[in-house]
Amino acid sequence: MTVEPIVRTAVVGAGTMGNGIAEVLATAGKRVVLVDVSSSALERGMQAIRDRLRRRVQKQRMTAEEMKQALNRIESSGDLSAVAEAQLVIEAVVERLDVKKSLFAQLDEIADLEAILATNTSSLSVTAIASATKHPERVIGLHFFNPAPVMPLVEVVHGPLSEREVVDQAMAFVKEIGKDPVKVTDTPGFLVNRVARSFHSEAFRLVGDHVAEKQQVDRILRAAGFPMGPFELQDLIGIDINYAASCSVYEGYFHDPRFRPHPHQRQLVESGALGKKTGRGHYRYE
Amino acid sequence: MNDIVLIGDGPLAKETSDLFNERGWTVWPLDQLDQPLSSSCAVVDTVTGPVEEKKRLLRRAAELVPIDAPIWTNTLHVTATQVASWMPHSERVGGFSPLMIQQMPLVEVCRPLQAEDEDVWDKALQLWRHVGKQVEVVGDEPGLVFPRTWAMLVNEAAFALTEGVAKAAAIDLAMKKGTRIPMGPLEWADTIGVDQVVWILSGLVRELGEDRYRPAPLLRKMVYAGYTGRAAGRGFYRYNADGKRQSSEISKVSM
Repeated sequence: MTVEPIVRTAVVGAGTMGNGIAEVLATAGKRVVLVDVSSSALERGMQAIRDRLRRRVQKQRMTAEEMKQALNRIESSGDLSAVAEAQLVIEAVVERLDVKKSLFAQLDEIADLEAILATNTSSLSVTAIASATKHPERVIGLHFFNPAPVMPLVEVVHGPLSEREVVDQAMAFVKEIGKDPVKVTDTPGFLVNRVARSFHSEAFRLVGDHVAEKQQVDRILRAAGFPMGPFELQDLIGIDINYAASCSVYEGYFHDPRFRPHPHQRQLVESGALGKKTGRGHYRYE
Repeated sequence: MNDIVLIGDGPLAKETSDLFNERGWTVWPLDQLDQPLSSSCAVVDTVTGPVEEKKRLLRRAAELVPIDAPIWTNTLHVTATQVASWMPHSERVGGFSPLMIQQMPLVEVCRPLQAEDEDVWDKALQLWRHVGKQVEVVGDEPGLVFPRTWAMLVNEAAFALTEGVAKAAAIDLAMKKGTRIPMGPLEWADTIGVDQVVWILSGLVRELGEDRYRPAPLLRKMVYAGYTGRAAGRGFYRYNADGKRQSSEISKVSM
C-alpha cells in the first residue's frame, strides 16, 4: 500500500459533511478534488467553503493569503473519474447502504490501486460498504463529526478486513490534518454515537416517567459539568438526526433493550418539531 | 441547625462532610457519637451498599436525634420511600444525591410518599438552602437524574470496552472530543467510584426491572477485584499514592 505521505485527496459528495471535510483537508495543506454529480450541489458546497473561510478571515483567524492558498488547493468536479489521482478518497454521500455500495464498487475501479478508500458514514457498517469492492482491505471509515471544520474528533473505523497498515496510515493522516484520531472497531454506532445514546435515551425516560421535567434535566446535567443538557443538545443536533441515530444503533444491535428509542422521540419527529432548525423542538426558538 | 450526624465512610462521606464543615457545621460521624444530640440537628446518610447495613445505621442514628430531626438519605440505589418505611416518624425522611455534591451548585433531592406534610418537608429542605445549594426536587427513583445518567454512560462505555470497540483511553478521548464532556466516562467512574456505578444500576434493575439497567459484567468484576477507582489506587487506570494517574498500560481492564 501507499508509503509516501498523503497529499492528494478527494472527497465525494459536496453536502455539509463533504464540503466541511474538503475545507479541513485544504486548510491543512492537502490538495482536494471535491466531486459531486449534481452541479448545483457542487456549487453550493464550494460556496459554503468560501463563505466559511471568508468569515475566518474577517475574524482574523486566518489571513487573506492563507484563504487564497486553501481555495487554490480545492478543485471541483462533476465527474467521478477525477478521484483517479487521489491517494485518499473520502466518501460523504447520502446515508444509504445501496448508494454507498454502488459508489464504492465504482471507486474501486477508478481510484489508484494504492489509494485508501474511506467512508464518512456515521451509521452504516463499514464492513458492508467494503464488501462491494474487490479490495476491502483498503477500505476504512473516517467518521468526522458535524461541523467537520470545528469538531476535533475523527473515528478511524476498521472492519475485520481492513489492513493494519491502512489503519495506521489513516491514524497518522488524521493527526497530520490537526484532528484527534481514535481507533474504533466496526460496530453499530461506532463509539461516540453508541455511548452517547445512553445520555439521550435516559433523558427521554426520566421525563417520560415524570421523574423530572426537561428544563430540570438540562439544568442538573449542566450543573454536573456537561456543556449542554440532553434536550438542548438534541435541539441543536436536530431531533430527527438524533432519532435516526437511535434507531440505527437499536437495529444494529438486534433490538437490545439498552438501545430502545423512546416513543416521545418519535412523536416529536412526527410532529415536525425537529429542534432549532424548525424553530421548535423541546424548546421554542425565535 | 448546626449539628450533622453523618452516616458512612469513603469518598462520598468525605465530600459531604467537607461541604458541611466548610460552612461552619459540626459533623459527627455516627460511629464517634456516643450520646444523643439534643440541639437542632439533621442526619445525613451517604451509604450505598447492602440495604440491611444502611437500615441498621439509619435506625441507630434516629435513636440519637430528636424525633423531628430531618433525615436525608443517599438514594443512589434505593428509593426514599423504601428508606422512610424503615424509620420511626417516616415523614421527615428525604432522599438526596451525594455525587459531586461539593462541586455542583445544586443538590438533587427526592420526596418519599410518606413526606406528605408540606411544613415538615419545607423545614427539611432548609438544610440544603443553609449550605447554599439550589434544590432540585425530582422523582423518587434510584439514581435521581445526574447519577442515573452518569451510570448509564459509564455502563455503555464499559460494554464498549468489553466488546473491544476501543481501548479505555481511546473511549475517554473520543467522548471528550466528540461530545465535549469535561471527563471521559471511564475517568469519571474512577473518580466517583466504579462501585457507585454498580450500586446505581443494580438499584435501577431492582426497582424498574428492565434489562437496560443491567450492569456490564466488567464493572461487577472490577468491584470484586477491588478496582473501584482513584481512591483504591486502581480502576480503569492505575493511580499512585497521591491519586495521580500513572501512564496507561495494557491490562485486562483497559484492553
